[in-house]
Amino acid sequence: MLWQLAINGIVAGCAFALIAMGLALIYNVAKFFHFAHGVIFTIGAYLTFLIANWLELPLLASISIAITATALIGCSLELGVFSPLRRKGNSPLVLLLASLGIYIILQNLISAVFGDDIKIIRTGAVNEGIAFLGARVTSIQVCIILTSLVVLAAVLVILKGTRMGRAMRAVSNDPELARVCGIDSDRVVLWAFAIGSMLAGIAGILVALDVDMTPTMGMNALMMGVVAVIIGGNGSIPGVALGALLLGMAQHLGVWRISSQWQDAIAFVILLAFLLFKPEGFMGKKIRKATA
Amino acid sequence: MEYLLHILILIGIYVILSVSLNLITGYTGLLSIAHAAFYGVGAYVAALMALNLHSTFLVNIICAVIVSGLLGALVGIPSLRIRDDYFVIATFAFQVITFSILNNWVSFTGGPMGLPGIPQPTIFGLQVSSHLGFLILIALFCALTLWVTRRIVRSPFGRVLKAIREDEVFAQAAGKNVAAYKIIVFVVGAGMAAMAGVMYAYYISFIDPTSFTVMESIFIISIVIIGGAGSLWGPVVGAVVLVLLPELLRFLGLPSSVAANLRQIIYGGLLVVFMMWRPRGFLGEYAFQSKEARE
Repeated sequence: MLWQLAINGIVAGCAFALIAMGLALIYNVAKFFHFAHGVIFTIGAYLTFLIANWLELPLLASISIAITATALIGCSLELGVFSPLRRKGNSPLVLLLASLGIYIILQNLISAVFGDDIKIIRTGAVNEGIAFLGARVTSIQVCIILTSLVVLAAVLVILKGTRMGRAMRAVSNDPELARVCGIDSDRVVLWAFAIGSMLAGIAGILVALDVDMTPTMGMNALMMGVVAVIIGGNGSIPGVALGALLLGMAQHLGVWRISSQWQDAIAFVILLAFLLFKPEGFMGKKIRKATA
Repeated sequence: MEYLLHILILIGIYVILSVSLNLITGYTGLLSIAHAAFYGVGAYVAALMALNLHSTFLVNIICAVIVSGLLGALVGIPSLRIRDDYFVIATFAFQVITFSILNNWVSFTGGPMGLPGIPQPTIFGLQVSSHLGFLILIALFCALTLWVTRRIVRSPFGRVLKAIREDEVFAQAAGKNVAAYKIIVFVVGAGMAAMAGVMYAYYISFIDPTSFTVMESIFIISIVIIGGAGSLWGPVVGAVVLVLLPELLRFLGLPSSVAANLRQIIYGGLLVVFMMWRPRGFLGEYAFQSKEARE
């Protein structure tokens, strides 16, 4: 029983990690909490559903088209809304509120087009899953775990090994200095939105394959992503992934003692504890520079 | 006629909610998405007391204000340690936890089934039962909220609040106890929001947790922002516009499910539009940017 809960926790944690890494990537270079990230997650799932069921394309093709589309949507949000807002010198709070507005618009569009009932992409019957050390794991759950590991590795390689990754770290460290060194920070932010939104899309599709979808699924994903980002430490990608894993474990192991509807409350009590006593998270270095 | 009175009553409730949030967000600069939690706590305290203790309206409203004010003090505490977007997330956490308690503590709050059959209020022997009666009652509380807010923001106390918003370090350097001011403003704002909750509970006579969600909090903050943060009458304008605008959709004859989505799309859209072109709203003087950042 406990082992099964731990496995469930790991699967949930890996899904949270995918969302949280995208969110952290965007936060680090653009310096605001991109609330519309949650709806990009939902869009990924619904686009896959749309292409696979209405246009009747094969599942893998639909998934790749949907992932590309989420990246493009993320970029167009940055170009159409956030970049102009930043250029006018608005504070991160203004960007956060605009992002919240976008979240509300897109979630309600999805709900108006597709309806509020549960939609399913998964084809065929629910399989029982593979027995693994006394617990049951479905193939899609294995897929979630593997994807999150691959993505974590890929993000780390991009950040440490490529020119763009170095530029991202520079911008996240000190935007002014990065600009002085000739880094085009607008392009860097655009790339962060592309990669981050893609990760949200992937996460949305995987979660929808595992537990189906509703238009409001993005809210929960967003909330857990934000919690993971903060408890993991915003500046460090491995920290964020670890934070997501711990969050998933805490939520699912909590079910052992208290009933499962308290999972949100558990997550947010942990979050408040971190905000009050260790706001930089357990692997972050600092929240922000001291106001000079 | 009843319909018109109903709309006016709704506007009144949102005026109380947004004016009180404006005190926290517009004047003190603490962006909070926990206001529906105070609203809900007020409604639940009054409803539970009316149903279980059969206490009178005035006792209930006083208790609701006190309980909600205490919760307000609790929500204010993180503002002493963290700022801006991190503080927004902290208030978000309080909102989710409060909703979770209202929704899941079934034996106490009735859970998703809510609390039906809240009796009509009696004030000094006068029973309020008609729409008109409620409108007068709510208008009185609106006037009280506006009067208290006006007194606060025009007093030296209010000037310190604005100083905290514009430059917290400076206010501290001038010898002001910034922590105490922040906590007090949260207590006052939460207490006022509880009054709106009590009104709502008595007026609808049925409450359930879905009226006090994160989305409701976001709606209230949108009223403040669109109306104008940091101005006394801004939120009043915002409440009128944002409550009336979706009602116009009724006359277009849309199916109710689409109309509900459209209502949210409208205020989400307004939020984006105002952030892009007029972050200070219709009448506001605060655009979510402290003085240090502007320079």
